Amino acid sequence: MAQKASSKYDPTFAKEVFEKVDSGEEIKKCMQCGVCAASCPLADKMEFSPRKIFTMIRAGERQKVLASKDIMLCTSCYTCIVRCPRKVPVMEVMHGLAHHALRSGFVPRKESSKFGKAFWDCIYKTGRVDEGVAARNYYLADGLVAGAKRGLEMKDIALNMLKHKRMNIMSAIPGIQGKKIKNIATLQKMLDKAEAMGKGGSK
Amino acid sequence: MTKYFLYSGCSLETSASNYLISVESVFKALGVELREIEDWNCCGASISYIGANHLSQVVLNARNLALAEAQGGYDIVAPCSSCYIVMNQVNRELGEDPALMQKVNSILAEGNLTYKGSVKVRHVLDVLYNDVGVETIKSRVKKPLKGVKVGGYVGCQTVRPYGEYDSVERPVVMDRLIEALGAESVNFSHKIKCCGSGIFLTELDYGYELAGNILESATSKGAKVMTTACPLCQLNLEAYQERVNKALKKSYNVPVTFITQLMAVAFGLDPSKDACLDRNIIPVEKALKTAA
Repeated sequence: MAQKASSKYDPTFAKEVFEKVDSGEEIKKCMQCGVCAASCPLADKMEFSPRKIFTMIRAGERQKVLASKDIMLCTSCYTCIVRCPRKVPVMEVMHGLAHHALRSGFVPRKESSKFGKAFWDCIYKTGRVDEGVAARNYYLADGLVAGAKRGLEMKDIALNMLKHKRMNIMSAIPGIQGKKIKNIATLQKMLDKAEAMGKGGSK
Repeated sequence: MTKYFLYSGCSLETSASNYLISVESVFKALGVELREIEDWNCCGASISYIGANHLSQVVLNARNLALAEAQGGYDIVAPCSSCYIVMNQVNRELGEDPALMQKVNSILAEGNLTYKGSVKVRHVLDVLYNDVGVETIKSRVKKPLKGVKVGGYVGCQTVRPYGEYDSVERPVVMDRLIEALGAESVNFSHKIKCCGSGIFLTELDYGYELAGNILESATSKGAKVMTTACPLCQLNLEAYQERVNKALKKSYNVPVTFITQLMAVAFGLDPSKDACLDRNIIPVEKALKTAA
């Protein structure tokens, strides 16, 4: 009698990706041609290219995929989107996977995650991003001492920007927040609602 | 007079203030009126996926589109490539998916807003090339940038993903604009390769490599000045150039301008007040001396 297909093959992670990851269902169209991997500007820095990530999802490798640093290395250049012959929005899938990983308690890239959260925090609190505040909060995410050290490492860039009137010194001061848009309260209501109504949200 | 909404975005308020001021001067000189969308919010850029799900990012942008529609419905022109691509993509998604539009409108109702889908999102290069036109730009040039070899670095998001106004793989609009100013546009292989975008804050080594490849590609083909139409491209190639040199043991010293700064100079506008050349970290005046 022919052997039964491997019982190890586990579709539950693929289902999770289809249902909970923004653009996750799009990987159904992937035919594993590898154009995305060949086009990615940072492919040589990756252990698992987007193509491999898609295969691993199908193979049920939940832990490996959601912990993979590679799902958070995207620079959002859209090259994979432009070139995919099956019109898989590869970049969007990677973004969706990264968001899902963070929401599920994984931290594939600590630095990117800290910066992204500082960035979104600015948007949520004020409606806009004050670059100084976002950078400062990113550096301070590990506390004042670590933040000051990181900040000092970047002082050449900061001083140059300051000298050429391209940075607001006030934003670098801890505690100071960017200016709020007028209707920030309704924007926050909208964003809360969207978070809940979106894929993987509570409603 | 043609009117547009200028969606300046967050970076043009500070780190790319030289872009904002030169955009405003150039459009004024070309007789184009720019208005601000009242109470606009950040587009979320390409990194907001870390903090929010897709629907939140859609809503964030739909709010701006709805405000623009209610305030006159002019085309939105975005000088920042990230603002452009994010807003444009959301606008497309809403136009193609009535169910999404309905869902988004049920959320926008929190702020008594609604979006019908009538607004267009355009990149500043698109408006300059297709609406204003090369001939009009040429006719406005008072101090041609004769003999200046300019590497027009388009970057990745500037022309993507739909190819609405230029090729996504072999763009030409930037080169035609450079030539309209009397300068020579340099062809180089890394014209649309990614500069590293936001990873410059979190993955410095990778950023140096990507920016270094672009600087090498352009300067090896003779570029004496580089020009971009994206705040992050400009920042990564210019503000980090000294660091790229250190990391890769190179000695690049090439000014990186915004295309509108070159235009302001060629139009004979004030080099500091209008072109904001004094806000560039790597001095550019010498490289443009033919137009001075």
